[in-house]
Amino acid sequence: MRTFVGICLVLSLALSVGVVAQERGVTAEEVVIGTSMPLSGPAAYWGAVGRGMEAYARFLNDQGGIHGRRLRVVVRDDSYLPPRAAANVRELVERVGVFAIVGLIGTANAFAVRDYIVRNEVVWVTPTADASMWYGFRDKKYLFVTYPSYVEEAKVLVDYAARQLGAKTVAVFYQNDLYGQKGLLGAKQGAVRSRVRVVAQVPYEVTQADVSSEAVRLRESRADAVLLYATPRHGALIVREMAKIGYTPKLLSSFTLGDPIMFALAGEAWNGVISTAFFPLPGTGDNRVDQALAVLTRIDPALRQNPFNALAGWAFMEPFVEGLRRAGRDLTKQRFVQAMESIRNWDGEVIRGVTFGPDRRQGINRVFLTRAEGGRYTRLTDWVTYPVGF
Amino acid sequence: MTLAAQYVANGLASGGLYALVALGIVLLYRSSRVLNFAHGDLCTLGAFLALSALQAGWPYAASVAAGLVGTGLASAGFYQVLVRPVREGTVLGLVITTLGFALFLSGFMAWVWGTDTKPFPSPLSDVRVYRLGGVVISELTAGSLAAALVLVALLSLLVQRTPLGLAMRAVAQNPVAAQLLGVPARRVLAATWALAGMLGASAGVLLAPVLLLDPFMMLDPFLKGFAAAVLGGMDSLPGAVVGGLTLGVAESLFAGYVSVKFKATLSFLVIVAVLLLKPEGLFGRPFERRV
Repeated sequence: MRTFVGICLVLSLALSVGVVAQERGVTAEEVVIGTSMPLSGPAAYWGAVGRGMEAYARFLNDQGGIHGRRLRVVVRDDSYLPPRAAANVRELVERVGVFAIVGLIGTANAFAVRDYIVRNEVVWVTPTADASMWYGFRDKKYLFVTYPSYVEEAKVLVDYAARQLGAKTVAVFYQNDLYGQKGLLGAKQGAVRSRVRVVAQVPYEVTQADVSSEAVRLRESRADAVLLYATPRHGALIVREMAKIGYTPKLLSSFTLGDPIMFALAGEAWNGVISTAFFPLPGTGDNRVDQALAVLTRIDPALRQNPFNALAGWAFMEPFVEGLRRAGRDLTKQRFVQAMESIRNWDGEVIRGVTFGPDRRQGINRVFLTRAEGGRYTRLTDWVTYPVGF
Repeated sequence: MTLAAQYVANGLASGGLYALVALGIVLLYRSSRVLNFAHGDLCTLGAFLALSALQAGWPYAASVAAGLVGTGLASAGFYQVLVRPVREGTVLGLVITTLGFALFLSGFMAWVWGTDTKPFPSPLSDVRVYRLGGVVISELTAGSLAAALVLVALLSLLVQRTPLGLAMRAVAQNPVAAQLLGVPARRVLAATWALAGMLGASAGVLLAPVLLLDPFMMLDPFLKGFAAAVLGGMDSLPGAVVGGLTLGVAESLFAGYVSVKFKATLSFLVIVAVLLLKPEGLFGRPFERRV
């Protein structure tokens, strides 16, 4: 009897040790990652990023996965609502048991889940949110960001408007949440630096349908240039409305509107819009990006509708996958962090020039400018870098 | 002055569409005392059905007709299969049934047509504009407003001048007495639901080129239509039209001269103010109940 109890004790101890050593979300066959994004509601358009991530995971899995492990992406819908994003992340971490959160769309949403993720030491790669929210923030050990800062991006846009387009005054049409407000903040800071005046700040709500009076407000400001921090729908609507009432300022937009679908939604009015981009856009002569898009649309033909979002899904996941590759078969959180910290000036298929380090969590600090014309975007400038903030 | 006129013109354009949404809500509420929260999603369904027909190469008029008929059938089917059995239950049960149907519809549309925003073709141009003084109004906006007013006129003719309209009014006033007098109340109610669905679909088809189409396009216009219905009086068809136009203009002027940030809040303020000051709305009959 005593021997039996002894064996049981030893066995249970061994098992518990086994369980402890087992990393959450990692088994011999798979690595589970989670993300939350709007699959319904007014920003559902961006949900295609999740499909891009899933298609990319399938592409990797078809080639045998990473070190023999398949990637499983668990996507949860938050309707672009921060409380639902918070509930989703808790579920992903505590019930699904993910190894990492990859992406997570919406600056306000990322802000809502930030404390929870940091407190629970969850690996978080590329929150799809304004990168400036991490400036001065401590406890970033498990965080790796390869997403631009809207604040810095807006400064680049204002600078371009002032220097190259000769604008003396700018107006900002922005979404009334953290996404748009960060763009507005950057525009104001950029205006001081570039010696232009911000003459109108016109917000809209993401649930709002009609923006005709906003267009009149913008026209009344008589700004030389208008910056857009909006959803593709609102971006298209405001541009059309402004054109309709005979107001044709220089238009500059965030990279979030860098999708070719904008030509279909906004029509002629989208011609001449200057946008930023943080990875080479498809159809601009970059073979690797074109091939990546071909892979994604072969796996999920519906992604042809929004190539930019599909590739963004790939771009958000790519540094994570590189981290997995470098961490080796014996995957733990610590090894993964060390592997990520070893990434220097690394080019993926879509995202380029990523650098992390023990004291660096901002993987990219550059964008370039493009111009929309006749259904396609052409590259205008070389990379424009801004200071590394964290 | 031109500026104010421009705000009013913009307001009338959006108000006309709110009115169209409000009419569908009021038509149903009058006849069956059901607040249909799925009305917005029925509007979107109509637009998607029409878009599919267009993409299949149907002519424009036939595609719109297909959207209207399809949505009418969906609406009447919803009444027959779900609302009628639940009507025996509580009002809350009914409201929740329509909410459930709304969720089902939006999920269904996202599943079938995807969630990406789509342009919706229109025979009218959004770029060609008319200038009256300094006021600019696009062909599409003017056309939508005109179509909305024509639909309102047709609906009031139908309700006031046809036997079906008479039966609808009879069932609305006293369903039991109407049935005793030989009015087929169930069929009349199903026809009312179909009509409300078709009205919604036409609102959807008119709104989609202006707002761009996705499964959640009607979130905001439905809310505004609801506020317009409350403002005009939940059981008054002319009230819905006046309510819609008033709300549209008020919103536009508010955004222009008071605060563009709180524009979206105005419709809630309107609902609260109306319920406080004149609960029956501008044109509604005061609530009475014989005890």
